Amino acid sequence: MRLSNIFHLYRVRLPQRLVQELLAVAGIAVGVALVFASLVANTSLTGSLRQLTSGIVGDARFQLTARGPEGFSDELLARVRALPGVDDAAPVLEARVIVHGPRGQQPLLLVGGDPRFARFGGPLLQPFASDRLAGQRAIGLTAPVAQTVGVTFGGALEIETGAGRVASTLGGRLDAGDIGDLVHSPVAIAPLSYVQAISGLPGRVSRIFVQPLPGRDDEARRGLQRLAGGTLTVADADADVATFQQASMPTNQSTALFSLLAALVGFLFALSAVLLTVPKRRRFIADLRLAGHTPAVVVKVMLFDAVMLGAAGAVIGLLIGDQLSRHLFSSVPGYLGFAFPIGSQRIVDWTSFAAAIAAALVAACIAVLAPIREIFTRRPNEHADASQRPRRASAAFALAGAGCLLGAGVVLLLAPAAALGGMVLMTAALLFLLPLLMQAGVAALGWAGQFVKSAVPALAAMELRSRASRTRMFALAATGAVAVFASVAIGGAHRDLLRGLDTSARQIDANADVWATFPGEPNAFATTPFEVDALDLQRIEAVPGVAAVREYRGEFLDLGDRRTWVLGPPVDADAPIPPRQLADGNVEEATDRIRDGGWITLSEAVADDAGVDVGDWFELPSPNPTRLRVAALTTNLGWPPGAIILNAEDATRAWGTDRPSALQIATEPDADPATVRRALAESIGQSLPVVLETAEERQQRHFAEARAGLERLTQISALVLGAAILAMATAMGGVIWQRRPTLAGLKADGFSQPELWRALLLESGTLLGSGCLAGAIFGLGGQVMLSRALRAVTGFPVFYEPALLIAVAMLAIVLLVALAILAIPGLLAVRVGPEPAPAH
Amino acid sequence: MLEVRELVKHYAAPGGETVRAIDGVSMHVDRGELVALYGPSGSGKSTLLKLIAAMLTPDSGAVYVAGRNVSALSARDAAQYRRREMGFVRQEIEVMDGASALDNATLKLLDNRTGWRRARKQVTPLLIELGLKDRLRHRAEQLSVGERQRVLIARALSTKPSLVLADEPTGSLDGERSHEVLRLLTRLCREHEVAMLLVTHDPQAAAYATRVHELRDGRLREYSPERAPALPQS
Repeated sequence: MRLSNIFHLYRVRLPQRLVQELLAVAGIAVGVALVFASLVANTSLTGSLRQLTSGIVGDARFQLTARGPEGFSDELLARVRALPGVDDAAPVLEARVIVHGPRGQQPLLLVGGDPRFARFGGPLLQPFASDRLAGQRAIGLTAPVAQTVGVTFGGALEIETGAGRVASTLGGRLDAGDIGDLVHSPVAIAPLSYVQAISGLPGRVSRIFVQPLPGRDDEARRGLQRLAGGTLTVADADADVATFQQASMPTNQSTALFSLLAALVGFLFALSAVLLTVPKRRRFIADLRLAGHTPAVVVKVMLFDAVMLGAAGAVIGLLIGDQLSRHLFSSVPGYLGFAFPIGSQRIVDWTSFAAAIAAALVAACIAVLAPIREIFTRRPNEHADASQRPRRASAAFALAGAGCLLGAGVVLLLAPAAALGGMVLMTAALLFLLPLLMQAGVAALGWAGQFVKSAVPALAAMELRSRASRTRMFALAATGAVAVFASVAIGGAHRDLLRGLDTSARQIDANADVWATFPGEPNAFATTPFEVDALDLQRIEAVPGVAAVREYRGEFLDLGDRRTWVLGPPVDADAPIPPRQLADGNVEEATDRIRDGGWITLSEAVADDAGVDVGDWFELPSPNPTRLRVAALTTNLGWPPGAIILNAEDATRAWGTDRPSALQIATEPDADPATVRRALAESIGQSLPVVLETAEERQQRHFAEARAGLERLTQISALVLGAAILAMATAMGGVIWQRRPTLAGLKADGFSQPELWRALLLESGTLLGSGCLAGAIFGLGGQVMLSRALRAVTGFPVFYEPALLIAVAMLAIVLLVALAILAIPGLLAVRVGPEPAPAH
Repeated sequence: MLEVRELVKHYAAPGGETVRAIDGVSMHVDRGELVALYGPSGSGKSTLLKLIAAMLTPDSGAVYVAGRNVSALSARDAAQYRRREMGFVRQEIEVMDGASALDNATLKLLDNRTGWRRARKQVTPLLIELGLKDRLRHRAEQLSVGERQRVLIARALSTKPSLVLADEPTGSLDGERSHEVLRLLTRLCREHEVAMLLVTHDPQAAAYATRVHELRDGRLREYSPERAPALPQS
């Protein structure tokens, strides 16, 4: 049949099923929107760092990089350039700074380069090529940052570095025309010598990027490794991207998993809506076949239906997803910004589009073609054993469900790393076992009905037992089941993780009554060093209420692809190892060892990578490589790539610096920390580049950051639940509305309007309730699976506790809201006039 | 035109029993002839129609239409046969809601050669002939039951078939509308020179036929008006 004829048939049939088609489109759109938005969010996260990296390194192939924020001598540059196989090399010094302007301040990564960098072709440092900035004592800001801080070209601003605060001017304003999407990255640029001067690191650089001669990569790399001599790191020029991918993996994976679950809810919504049209579609197929059209033509016509449905769902879903990714999923998980300069740019690549459109078309094809499968497979002589089919199907479903459940159990116990697969298995088990659970719900309804002197339970059970509506009912119950399953699993694991993160933050922050750290959100882990001299310390100690001041040294250190968080608490810290974060070892013994020095704790994943255990020696690849013994294994303290603890004195030796990254101030027993903090601010607030916080304030900041880091999961969970409630209410409303002829017949049989309304609500409650209950029970299993995976695979501090309250709350919310919405179409439907002999 | 020879179709029923749906039926229908096949529910009428329409394959025997054995056709050829040589008027008068009378009647004409505009042109005279001149653009739900049945008759005749099978075409209609449709089928049969097999369990419908057969327990028997209610005068 011609395509124009197929389209004509689609068009003329559309009015009869417009509402159902729109519902199906809405369902598919919900799924597409969530899949697309999460893909864009994930792509943007990694993409922004990839853009920044390539914006800096351009065509450079390798980098010689410092292991600490102090960098290394720029005299090494000449030796790098002289290496055989090296074509060109250019140095960079990066420093965490706060830029203060008339309208505000902004934490940024200040990149200092020189004209040699322009030869590598990276757009960010191209301005140096024309000497616009090179040699100036000024910095270049991206247009959005310049606008935020309220400074124009040539305008005055202040730059706060670890060495103090200096006055500067805006020497360049970089817009999208100059550097493309990099305008959204939190970076500033300045001449290398200027950055060295203002950050208190004269003659120091943090990296040298290297371009080898053609075909001499290996030779250049070998030369660099010789030069590095075990105190510097040689890596690919874009190694930061791999490091970032490692750090953002938990976020990306969990977002993807929950988006898939959300897409499944959307698909079930679409299926429910499409199933409403099955009787009409079935009649139409019969007409086509009777009219002599071949099965191939029938399939083409149905496929066209599916493509139109999928295309409409994809277009609307992409539009909604675009808005979701701009406004809801746009926030960068804050914790990743502690170690990486992540931009706010939205990066949409073709794979996100392709995946979303493919998902829409596949969902539409399954929804449209699944019902006609039985029409094509049905043969007149098959009716003989039709009575056996449901029983066999039920047994097969139960078997498949048990198999999936067993598989999920194996994953849980033996392979927690495969938690994503385990969740898929658990979802499949839920869907396979749902028919049985629904039957149990109907049986319970029938059993309860014998104690009630009313026809309402019997009326409700009548429709639920009907084979004709079984698939439709299943789709409806499954929508609620999957939504509640996802919400309970996500909500439970989320709460377990938050409890762990809060405990970790509370124990680390409790080591001081008042903290003094370099300001800015990216320094939440106190990893940016600042200069402090003996005079400053004396002034602090002289403040009333201060009992002692101790230096803390925290860093980030790259171990392969892991950018680990290094904590260097003072030797006399109350609890250098957060007691509840210990995974292996004795906390008292490990604490003593850390205080004594020469010992270290590693998070489990870091220890696994290095192949070491408690008591083993570990070579810390710090600027001054240091051998330390492993005192204990810990969780990752909330930082996905892993954490390391050693005392501040060991850290000073290993990093070869005397600059602390925090001052831990103990107050007198009877002093109020808040009062002491205010007094400290008056005394040292202007002379040191620090922000002062009480332990309580710092904890609250960390609690808020933990919640912000997990915000996207909370948002997806809420969206899934909301979509499911709407899906179930609208689809069930459609089912009820279609049943008006039956209701008219029942009215003719003498049933009253209130009886029928109550029966409809009871039927809906039983159906949705059994689905949601199954979802809640499986959700508790999902919580175990996810919490265990978070703990075992990423090493997060997770404190598991069954999320019974969440399960009950989700069950009640979904059920009550759906029933409240359904009460209206139910009431309207039962107002139909009595009509004898309805087509039941 | 239509010749049915010793047709047999049995089904296996639960418990190992055999249902003899059609058990050695032979009959013929000529061009311009309306033959009624009378029989109660479950007598095998619908199975016989499906065999003639090549929607089922007989266990033995054959169906010949214009001298060609349609029981041996491939699925594709059987579809082509139903499309071009046969029309089927069914009992259910459900049509595509939302679509116009015209679009409902064109369903058989749409293929790779005929677009929907040409199909509309082709079927319009037939609909006018069936008395639907003023209802061509009306949507299905705006048509009366009798009008919908006429749309389905127009669909069946749209490809100018030589054979029309009517399965209880008046089953959903009241007395007056039944007679109206039966009169129409009789006229069309005569004027379009088609062979028409009318299956019914309504003895009144049989009164419009040139010949009447009775099907009981899968076997064709001589129609006995004594066993059926009185026939009205046509």
